Amino acid sequence: MQAPPAPIVARPEDRFLTAFELNEGHTLNGSNARLHGLRKQAIARFRELGFPPPRTEAWKYTNITRVLQHEYRLNLLPVETRLTPDDLAPYRIPGLDAHTVVLVNGRFAAGLSDIGHLPDGAVVTGFARASETHEDLVNRHFGAYAGDEQDPFTALNTAFTLDGLFVYVPKGTRLRRPIHLINLIQAEEDLFLQPRLLVVAEPGSQVQLIQTDASRTAVPTFTNGVTEVFVGTGAHVRHYLVQDAGEAASAVNTLSVYQEGGSTFTAATTTLSGATVRNNVYVLPNGEHCESNLYGLFLGKNRMHVDNHTMMDHARPHCVSNELYKGILDDASTGVFNGKVLVRQDAQQINAYQSNKSIVLSDAAQMYSKPELEIYADDVRCSHGATSGQLDEEAMFYLRARGIPPKEARAMLLIAFARDVLDTIELDVLRTYLDERLDARFHS
Amino acid sequence: MSQTGTDYLHAVAASDYKYGFVTDIEADTAPKGFNEDVIRLISAKKEEPEWMLAWRLKAFRYALSLIEDKSRYPRWAHLTYPDIDFQDISYYSAPNKKPKYESLDEVDPKLLETFERLGISLEEQKRLAGVAVDVVMDSVSVHTTFKEQLAELGIIFCSFGEAVQNHPELVQKYMGSVVPYTDNFYAALNSAVFSDGSFCYIPKGVRCPMELSTYFRINQAGTGQFERTLIIAEEGSYVSYLEGCTAPMRDENQLHAAVVEIIAHKDAEVKYSTIQNWYPGDAEGRGGVYNFVTKRGLCEGDGSKISWTQLETGSAITWKYPSVILKGDHSVGEFYSVAFTKGRQQADTGTKMIHIGKHTKSTIISKGISAGQSQNSYRGLVKINKNAHHARNFSQCDSMLLGDRCGAHTFPYIEINNHTAQVEHEATTTKVGEDQIFYCNQRGISEEDAIKLIVSGFAQEILAKLPMEFAVEARKLLSIELEGSVG
Repeated sequence: MQAPPAPIVARPEDRFLTAFELNEGHTLNGSNARLHGLRKQAIARFRELGFPPPRTEAWKYTNITRVLQHEYRLNLLPVETRLTPDDLAPYRIPGLDAHTVVLVNGRFAAGLSDIGHLPDGAVVTGFARASETHEDLVNRHFGAYAGDEQDPFTALNTAFTLDGLFVYVPKGTRLRRPIHLINLIQAEEDLFLQPRLLVVAEPGSQVQLIQTDASRTAVPTFTNGVTEVFVGTGAHVRHYLVQDAGEAASAVNTLSVYQEGGSTFTAATTTLSGATVRNNVYVLPNGEHCESNLYGLFLGKNRMHVDNHTMMDHARPHCVSNELYKGILDDASTGVFNGKVLVRQDAQQINAYQSNKSIVLSDAAQMYSKPELEIYADDVRCSHGATSGQLDEEAMFYLRARGIPPKEARAMLLIAFARDVLDTIELDVLRTYLDERLDARFHS
Repeated sequence: MSQTGTDYLHAVAASDYKYGFVTDIEADTAPKGFNEDVIRLISAKKEEPEWMLAWRLKAFRYALSLIEDKSRYPRWAHLTYPDIDFQDISYYSAPNKKPKYESLDEVDPKLLETFERLGISLEEQKRLAGVAVDVVMDSVSVHTTFKEQLAELGIIFCSFGEAVQNHPELVQKYMGSVVPYTDNFYAALNSAVFSDGSFCYIPKGVRCPMELSTYFRINQAGTGQFERTLIIAEEGSYVSYLEGCTAPMRDENQLHAAVVEIIAHKDAEVKYSTIQNWYPGDAEGRGGVYNFVTKRGLCEGDGSKISWTQLETGSAITWKYPSVILKGDHSVGEFYSVAFTKGRQQADTGTKMIHIGKHTKSTIISKGISAGQSQNSYRGLVKINKNAHHARNFSQCDSMLLGDRCGAHTFPYIEINNHTAQVEHEATTTKVGEDQIFYCNQRGISEEDAIKLIVSGFAQEILAKLPMEFAVEARKLLSIELEGSVG
């Protein structure tokens, strides 16, 4: 009898390249030519770049290749969801009055969403639907801000974009209520998901987006999400991301922001659970007098690995940026912060601040911090700070001396430490919700 | 009418290297090329024992394997320079006379003149506070003073070559123990072809009564300088070691790849200070020294301390990370640095503090000043290992920009694997404040003097760490560098 053929050891990249070849022209047709062109470009780019090898500087502390060795299933066909609106109760934020959009496995679930009344001209809908109903807008903005030159994950997402969220706020319009995106994973298989979000805020508009990532499965999944945000002249955009998809969910989340002059963009990311989570934030204020704020809070437990990677690209003068990332690492969790502030030549009068603070609670926990400044203009004020330590013994003593039991004292100090980041959230309902999550975590 | 600040800064950036001259001493130079014959030639010239040659050859084979694979050169630094052709370099040169003088009268007058023009004549040095000077000129030690005095205390301070001959057991025991030849490409290169350097051994309980110093000079066209320094401080000893450098003007790039190893045993303290002022190249960035240095200290024993202080003003390319491995419990590592770049200079410098022992402590203070079209980067690693309980680090990196065409960058790496560690890092980047200049102007201080004042104030914290004689020289140097063509 003949021996069975040796198993073919495929690189994780090959699975995607093959899937693209098989599905191009069918599932990945793309109803319009521009989308199709972008896909082909992106897959060529991905073929060239491949996934980052372990020694890549930008991935120095996160071995993503190891995570990708797992044979996730790339499901390109839509699956009917059996969920009912009642199933969403655990993922709602109590007291939040919002335009609710639900994505199940990266696909827009119209039946579960409750978008409600929107101001004239504003659009909140699924990405696939928008590329038919608002083809012009999608064509103009899709792929314009998330650069894939150096980023294989963005290229991969662009090549396989099927659905996600589309938000359009016309000129001068203010969305009074925030948009709440519930990004839900519901799977019996190890899915590889690639949702795509596109937010277009025309000049002078205002919009807030809350994204909560959650999962209803314990099987390993991988989400390669890309969010593109266009912030027009004088517009205000806030993006709140709450990551809580459980211990089997790995993710690479890329947020690419393009700001026009005089605009304000704020992102606040809270990571509560996950397997290996990498958050890339690229902000390009491409106009004068922009303000950019990036905040992050990550709470590591068990074997969780959280990597926050930010790039503040100051290409134009007279801008301000703030970054504050705080982490509490327990058990055998790992935290990574790699933030870069780049001030290009002639981008004078920049004020850029960056701060990363972490508390390491256990012997097996690790923290890696790499705050970087790369400055090519002289009339600037840029600073960064990074600290790492354990709980302040004097503060502990102070509380103990006042009769507070050690467990409670510890919880008080940790919550106070983390609340610095939550205090930046201007949406009261969301802040209260996260405060409660924090209380539950540390008082248990 | 006084100049405007901008004019002055342009003048600074455009100013010439003040120490450009060539000493015309006939040299004994090996043919160009990196091959086994050259290694054997160097070893034979230096009448080395078999074990030394064997070590060189091991390093040579390793380095050669790296030369053949360009991807293995360390190119991760924030530096741009063309690939170096390592086969197009002569790896050995020595002054053809090998004088062993007892008095200065016997020394080649031209050599003495060189040093006098640098403002650091041997006579002056000898008189001033009793500094023993081991002059390394083009790799061969030609003059050593105060040796007898040091010998009485049991201190060995000699050229590396002499140490190989006279103290082989010490050299064999410690050479390569802190910087193995496999550490990086330039360390391998140095281990294969190093010409000479300094060796220093402080016995148990001895406090070295004077500052030991070595002046390195690069003096032959197209020859690399490959120094090797080894400092061993036995239990409870103390030594302060100075290294200062200036190099003559050259049109082709000179490669410098030095290795410095320090071992501090229990309760010993080593203070290592450097002034580096090699030729930085001309205004268009031609010529200039390529400086790839591996400096590392090992705090072997409990309670030991190693401190690096540096003033970097020269070289076209600086690639240098004086590091400390804090192995002993309660050991201390320090790094104080001022790096000044102008013209088209590029510096990527910083430190590594590797905490292994318990209650170890490290301090990093780095000040970068960039002018002209230069690029000045700080790159540092603080690593707290798993068993380094209660380790403590404080880092501060400040950058100052003098002009809108230069760059100042900070790349710190912080790796924490122990929860009892306390690590703090902060960095700032600013320009010379207009309000500060205005304040000075109001009080009748010219723009030029104001900038000098502000910059030296910015660097003062570090310069104050240098030993007295060096601090004077360092201040002078920084001020001359700033003066540019104006002064």
